[in-house]
Amino acid sequence: MVAKKYLDIYDSYDRFHNGKRVREDSWDYVVVPTNAMAMREKYDINFSEDIIPEDDDLCDRLFQAGIEMLCTTGFYNTDIGRVLQISEEEVFEGIRRAPKKIKIGSGKEEVCCAPRRGNPSGPPIIEGGPTGAPVTEDIFVPMMQSYAQEATVDVLVSGVLNTIKKHPSITNTPWEIRATLAEIGFVREAANMAGRPGLGI
Amino acid sequence: MTNAGHRITDAHECSQLNELKMDMCGLNMLAGWTTEGDTIMVEQMPIFGGYCGGIEETAICDVATTLASFALFSGNFHLDGPIHIRWGTTTSKETLQIAAHAAAAIDANTDLLLANQYYPMAGPCTEMCLIETAAQAISDTGSGRELLSGSAAAKGVVQDKTTGMEARIMGEAAKAAAGMKVSDLNEILAKIVPTYEAKYTSAPAGKTFQECYDVLSVKPTAEYLQVYDNAVKALRDFGLDIKH
Repeated sequence: MVAKKYLDIYDSYDRFHNGKRVREDSWDYVVVPTNAMAMREKYDINFSEDIIPEDDDLCDRLFQAGIEMLCTTGFYNTDIGRVLQISEEEVFEGIRRAPKKIKIGSGKEEVCCAPRRGNPSGPPIIEGGPTGAPVTEDIFVPMMQSYAQEATVDVLVSGVLNTIKKHPSITNTPWEIRATLAEIGFVREAANMAGRPGLGI
Repeated sequence: MTNAGHRITDAHECSQLNELKMDMCGLNMLAGWTTEGDTIMVEQMPIFGGYCGGIEETAICDVATTLASFALFSGNFHLDGPIHIRWGTTTSKETLQIAAHAAAAIDANTDLLLANQYYPMAGPCTEMCLIETAAQAISDTGSGRELLSGSAAAKGVVQDKTTGMEARIMGEAAKAAAGMKVSDLNEILAKIVPTYEAKYTSAPAGKTFQECYDVLSVKPTAEYLQVYDNAVKALRDFGLDIKH
């Protein structure tokens, strides 16, 4: 029996490369909204006033609508202007191959992220940090330490240095790379200062 | 410091583009990380009111892009973050609904690892910011998410307006919500969300990290601790048994 195909990142690139050429404005203003509306109608997706759904059948229909949205629409590559197509079988193989749990951090700070399945008494992992918000260079370490020292925080997520050595960390320049690498070092330093050197980033 | 301090036990992050789009920069980073066997978080923040359209259409796209993170981009976990086109927040009723429905739909049908990120309207050292953050933590926890990431107070766009105190309330609210019946959580959310949405146009800007903490000792100010206590009391009054 032939193993089911799983698309790795190289397969995905090849699919993009050989995909149909589409104008980006057509993708944004026609393809995506038209298909999303069609999926809503086909699967009768209508939310109630509830923020968290209590209707199991609605959840199943939404899942099916999402799969069909991905498989009928595909994915757009903005640099080459082409659309990748994926089959439902390949989506399910990607789901099957995805890790069922991951470990983040090391030593005493290692945490295991595993499926919760509904709302059990075990809370989610807490990733503390500015989540990409801009942070001044001078206070980057103490700000990150303010998260690392919180007992509820299990792992850290970085903010964004908008200068490095007082130089603007402009996107798509060597300064951006320097700032990104400095962020990692600063976050690690903050974890050390909080006495939690093993915290995952 | 090897690899600038980045360890194999840390994760990498790559973002998709809005909506159902990716670029070569993302693909090339992913190629390097997957070949190295690194842990990868793929991010996508669908825009409610943008190309997808309304609440339900955005939730459908949210499910599609979440699945793409695993089926196309070799992600180990997915970071969501539906964002409101008018407000730029993740804490509005509509964006909470989108995230919660997408998470519950995927959680009911797979074992994929799902995360969400936080962009409240108000800035630090305000009750509104803490209550917005707690509301999203209740919604994310109740809908089965595995990881909560935040919080980027003041919509994550103002310099130095984020602090550890917002992560404290995110974690404590998640702990309090874990294990509760979804119907009870919905009742609490129905009371909380309208209180802060009514203040979106006059949301308090809050204070910077330097104003919220002693920067040398990294201790929160007495003022922020009092604001935190007030927020916890309000959440308890709404019915959440959050640790004081």
